[in-house]
Order: sequence, then C-alpha cells, then structure tokens
Amino acid sequence: MFKNHVTHSLSSYLHGELSADAAMAVQTHLADCSRCRIALEEVRFGIRLVSTLQQVEAPESIWNEIHSASKMQNAAKHKMHWPDRMLAAGIALAFVLAFNLFLHSHVPNVPARGDLASWEVSSVRGTPRIGRLQLIGTGRLRPGDSLQTNADSEAAVRIADIGQLDLDPNSRIRLISSNSDQHRIALERGKMTARTWAPPRLFVVDTPSSTAVDLGCIYSCEVQRDGSTLLHVTLGLVALDFHGRETIVPAGAFCRTRPDGGVGTPYFDDSSELLQTALNYVDFGKDDVERARQLDIVLREARPRDTLTLWYLIPRLREPLRAATVDRMATLVPRPQTVTRGGVLTLDANMMDLWKAELERVW
Amino acid sequence: MQLCTVTSDFPIDDRTIEACQRGDSEGFRLLFEVYKDRVYSIALYYFNGDEASAHDITQQIFLKLLTHISQFESRSEFSTWLYRMVANACLDRKRTLRRFLSFDGSRVDEIPEARRSIEDKVIQREREASIRLAISGLKPKLRMAILLKHFEELSYDEIAVILGCSKGTVASRLNRGHQILAQKLAHLRGAGSRDGILEE
Repeated sequence: MFKNHVTHSLSSYLHGELSADAAMAVQTHLADCSRCRIALEEVRFGIRLVSTLQQVEAPESIWNEIHSASKMQNAAKHKMHWPDRMLAAGIALAFVLAFNLFLHSHVPNVPARGDLASWEVSSVRGTPRIGRLQLIGTGRLRPGDSLQTNADSEAAVRIADIGQLDLDPNSRIRLISSNSDQHRIALERGKMTARTWAPPRLFVVDTPSSTAVDLGCIYSCEVQRDGSTLLHVTLGLVALDFHGRETIVPAGAFCRTRPDGGVGTPYFDDSSELLQTALNYVDFGKDDVERARQLDIVLREARPRDTLTLWYLIPRLREPLRAATVDRMATLVPRPQTVTRGGVLTLDANMMDLWKAELERVW
Repeated sequence: MQLCTVTSDFPIDDRTIEACQRGDSEGFRLLFEVYKDRVYSIALYYFNGDEASAHDITQQIFLKLLTHISQFESRSEFSTWLYRMVANACLDRKRTLRRFLSFDGSRVDEIPEARRSIEDKVIQREREASIRLAISGLKPKLRMAILLKHFEELSYDEIAVILGCSKGTVASRLNRGHQILAQKLAHLRGAGSRDGILEE
C-alpha cells in the first residue's frame, strides 16, 4: 500500500479527472496514508487560493483600437472605385517595370504588395543579406531567396502570418515555399529560433540531417559545419523526421541529428553532462563494445525524467542492450500492471504506449 | 481595473465562427465579448497585474483572430486554438520583457473590491496581491496550466492540447503548482475572511 503513494494524482482527484476506479483507489489509499492526506490538503489549499482570483473586465478601449485597425484595413481595400484602381494599377505596373532592375540591383527592402508568398525581414543588427543584396531596415524574402547573416548581423523574419523567426549571426536560411498549406524553409547553417501561433504541421524546417515539423511551439535549431543539427524545444512539441522515422521532441528537450546517422535520441536539457556525452556515442558511435559501455553510463545517470531518453532508445537497441534499458526504466518508473517485460522487449505498440503514458507524468 | 459582474457565457457555435470567417463584424463583436475578459484576465494574472501587458496581449490576440480566423478549421475546438495563441503570446512577451527589462515580479497593482469595510478591503487586497505574486513566481509552464484551469475550467485533455503536452504532464504541473502555492502562502491558512474562502 505505502509503496504506491498517490501524491501525483491528487490534483486530478480533486478536479474529478480520474476514472471511478482510480478515484476509488486514491480514496482507499488516503484512508490509510497520513503522508498523502497531508499532501492532499496542500493541493486542496492551493486550489482554494487560486479560486479567489476573479475575472477582470477588459478595458473597452481594446475593442475601439481593434475596430479602428479593422476599419483602416477595410478602407485601404475598398477606397478606390474600379476605374481608379485600374488606372492606379497601370501606373503601379509601369512603376514596377521601370524600377524592377533598380530594385534588384540595389536595395531589396521594398515590399511587394500583394505578394503573399514573400516574408517580411528586418535587420536586428548590422546588415544581413538577401541573396547578394544588403538589407538595410526591412525587406522581403521570396521563395528561392536566401537570407544570410555574418558575425556582426542578426535578422528577424515574419513567417507569413503564422509566426516569427530570429536568425542568429553566421546563419543562412532559404525560403522554399509559402502557402496556406505549408510554409517551408531550409536552415543551411547557423542558428534560428522560431515562435509560431498556427495550427500544427504548418511550418517546416529542412536541415542537412532532418526535417523539423512544428506542432505549435517555440524552438531553436542550430546547424553546424558538418551538417549536424541540434534542436531545442522551449514550448510545445516538434516532430523530427528522418526518412519517415518520426521522433517527437517535447518542451525542455534537445535532440541531435547527423547527416550520416539520422535522428538521435531526445534528452532533457537538465540531464547530466555525463549522460549527454554518453548518449551522443550511443546514438552515433560505431564501435559496438564502446556503445555498450556508454549505454551503461546513460542508464546509470538516468533520473525518472530521463525515461524520455530511455523510451526512445528501446526500439533503437538490440539485445542485450535493449533488455538492460527496459529493466533500468522499470526501476525508475514501474511498468503499469498490464505492461509486461516481454511485451516491451518485442516492442508491442500498445504496451509501449501504455508505459509511455505513465512516463509522461515525470517528463 | 474593473472586476466582471457578468460572465459572458454565450456559446460560440460553428455559425458564429463561419460568420467571422465571412467578415461579419457583428459575429466578431460577439466573439470578442465572449472571450475578451477571459483572455485579459489570464494575461493579467500571468504578468502579476501588469495592465499594459494584459492590454497588449488581448489586443494582439483579437487582431490575430480578425486576420487569421479564416485559417481556423472547425475540426479542432475554437477555444483550444484561441488559448494556444494566448499561451504563446504570454510566453513570447515574457521572453521580450526578460530581454529588455528586469521583471522582478514586485508589482502590486490593486484589483478594487467594492462593498467592504476599509480594513477588509485592505486585507483582501493584500491577500490577492500575495496570491498574484506567488502565481507570477511559478514557472511559466505551471502558471499557465493553473490559469487555464481556473479561468476556463478546461479539462486536462483540453489543457494538454493547448500546451502541447500530455494529460499526465498537465496533472503533474497542476499538482506541483498548487502545492508550491500552498507552501508559499502557508501564512494565509486560516486567514480571516468573511467569505471563508481561505479558512481551513
């Protein structure tokens, strides 16, 4: 009884999120366990504290400002009658044709109105380049264009209307495509940080060693000289794809990929340095004996939270390394009753998912 | 700052969303009325009573809605989509504030409370300020989970979708968040209050 404390279920219990059986189990345990009863009262008091917060009325001025912005947009759309628009369009076309050569040979920072596929770029520091042209102030990045920073420059990019991207010094991205179904870039070198507010899987980043698919999040991606990539997720999830094999990297985790080795195993940013170094060899090392030795370090260093790493390692390892990993994981977070050791060793999908659901409590 | 006396509980159905997608300004106004106070309150408590941040985030969210609602597909819940934007906007602003300001969480703005004696008001304000300060001291992940649960009464599954994590992680964040608050504010246990909210 006392080995199975229910402290992790107390919030769910008080919010009515547990099944009838699970709630009954918690209740039964609480009847006999003073430690969990104390924890229950603590969580209950926390909930009561929060319940005193009252909803606050948003100032009416917010609506007025939104309304004004909306009116300005509509006015800009409908201001001119069609003969005027035709005349203006003719003049604009002549203007564009006359200045096209000038623009492409001098400054790239003139926005192309109506060019929905192009993205706004601003210089944050120094003079980044779009293609061969220097960016001063703001400019537009079009499909096929590269945006490049040197040691003294940084750039900020609006990812169409779904997010923002910051490009660090010594970095280069190329816009591949941008439409309502997908916005895709290639990160060729250096580091970028992306923040998106769009539905999942709309923003995609190709690197020399993998493809990062945004699932609604904030993350950074860094490509090194050898083409290897380091992904760090700050919020939400990112799916890393390599030849159809997908790894989901959660918030707080890193994942390394290499052109010759594919996607590595995700690990949390607060895991020990020893674990991270050893994991790098397990993922990409060639010598089997050394890999086994390094795996031993990973298993020794793993905390319950590092079962993220172990869970992803299991299908990537052969016997007897797989069994050692499964056994270590079971000591960190016990298997649910319906999950057997044999089932996990044969990678039974259902059992793997059931155990993962348990592990995610500590991730 | 004004406390809400009326909660907007009009259901936002597919027809309202479709009307907004067609550019119907009445539909958008309805959407604004239903969600404005919730979005504002989440941002306000997230930033420890900073009205400027709450104002900016609310405006930013509804301007985005105005221009992006055509992208919304009704296969996912509208509120999930909306609150994911709110969560991202709060984190985004926090990063910006951290970069440019020293955000020490020491603001103690006041939420006025009518119809109480002066002493009661003072005590109530101090208590609310303590709770707000304690919430703003939580890690962003814990803080957002707690605010979404309290203001929206969302299920753990819904919060998981918004925050891009599992239901188990939501449970763990709420558990930890509430425990931390209880420990930080242990001095409020049994604190006298007419409504008895904090009385053990």
